[in-house]
Amino acid sequence: MLKIQHFICQSWLLIVASFCFGLLIAVTNAALSPKIRQNEINKRNRLVSVLLPEARDFILLDSQIEIKSLQGKKEKVEVYRAMSEAGECAGFSFNAAGPGFADVIKLVVAVDKNFEKIAGFDVLASNETPGFGDQIKYDYYRNQFKGAPAEQLKLVSIGEPEKIDSEIVAISGATVSSEAVVEIISNSITQIKEQMQKKGLLGNDKQ
Amino acid sequence: MTNNSQAKDSLYGQTLLAGLWRENPVFRLLLGMCPTLAVTAAVKPAFTMGCCVIFVLLCSNIIVSLMRNLLKPHLRILMFTLTIATFVTIADLFLKAFVPTMSETLGPYVPLIIVNCIIICRAEACASKNALVVSIIDAVGMGVGFTLTLCILAAIRELLATGAIFEIQIIALAKEGGWFVPWAAMSMPVGAFITLGLLLGLVNAVIGKKT
Repeated sequence: MLKIQHFICQSWLLIVASFCFGLLIAVTNAALSPKIRQNEINKRNRLVSVLLPEARDFILLDSQIEIKSLQGKKEKVEVYRAMSEAGECAGFSFNAAGPGFADVIKLVVAVDKNFEKIAGFDVLASNETPGFGDQIKYDYYRNQFKGAPAEQLKLVSIGEPEKIDSEIVAISGATVSSEAVVEIISNSITQIKEQMQKKGLLGNDKQ
Repeated sequence: MTNNSQAKDSLYGQTLLAGLWRENPVFRLLLGMCPTLAVTAAVKPAFTMGCCVIFVLLCSNIIVSLMRNLLKPHLRILMFTLTIATFVTIADLFLKAFVPTMSETLGPYVPLIIVNCIIICRAEACASKNALVVSIIDAVGMGVGFTLTLCILAAIRELLATGAIFEIQIIALAKEGGWFVPWAAMSMPVGAFITLGLLLGLVNAVIGKKT
């Protein structure tokens, strides 16, 4: 009994403060989390709208799609169906992430409605070296993906960046970052395509 | 009575000015080096970081000062950390909700304010020993001093790395017909170390001359 009394006497302030501070954080979080979630959705939609100009609305597919990440972990992927103004499928988009040169690279990838061609990608978050690795955000690198086949891509050091095929020309001085993007996209796109084909989600506009 | 109020005024003035120069957290106390090096590539993120630190420092100093008589000596650091962590989480949520792009730029450095030595140092050295008003003034002085230092460092780095300050172009770049070739290294960690080192040397030289 004395021990409990001693314990409470010593730590009552800590216990009370923990409850009060916890409550304060909970209230702030409850008030701000809808806005934070909305910000994330807006940013994603804004980036995908540039990649899929016809898209007006984005619907999350019900089916669970799980892929094996580059680090070998199983991850759930949220695939969105982009709908045009006429209510037709304009393509698909999903987030993909993997290790870059300095930190994790997070991308949003868009593909056409048949999952045959990549419509493009954009960088959601990256911490690549300024002036070198961060050129993955630049148009001349990203444009190589626009129209490239939605399959395993290959990074080459010499080639024509204007030629749209499964070969992506690396950024000179930033091979690791260029390769990371190619691997992230290839890894997720091949697995998502396979699972969507299995589930019969492709070629069905109304779903 | 007049003497007493004059002494008080001079104490408040001294506390406020201490953070700005005499005990400047970055140049004189060498505290909070992590954000100083990490977020000073441009003025905007540096200013936002400074504002976050002012908010957290002010709130934590107020709370610690209010409960200074109830603190148990062996549990005090735990209480300080708890208080600081609460306000840092709140600041982080606010940034994510209202300035999401800046929140992304600052990345993990906002949550890392929890382990920023300036805040815990002020809680220990000032707020836990002084009354509310002095603690508030100390927080403002130290916070503003930290923010100004960060902004000076960031302005130098941003100018040399991009030819702009606060994203306003000041020097015309060579690729746009001007003469200035940006130093990419200044926006990298090496730029932060060199600039901070030179500024510390400069401050030491000025102080050395005075004494």
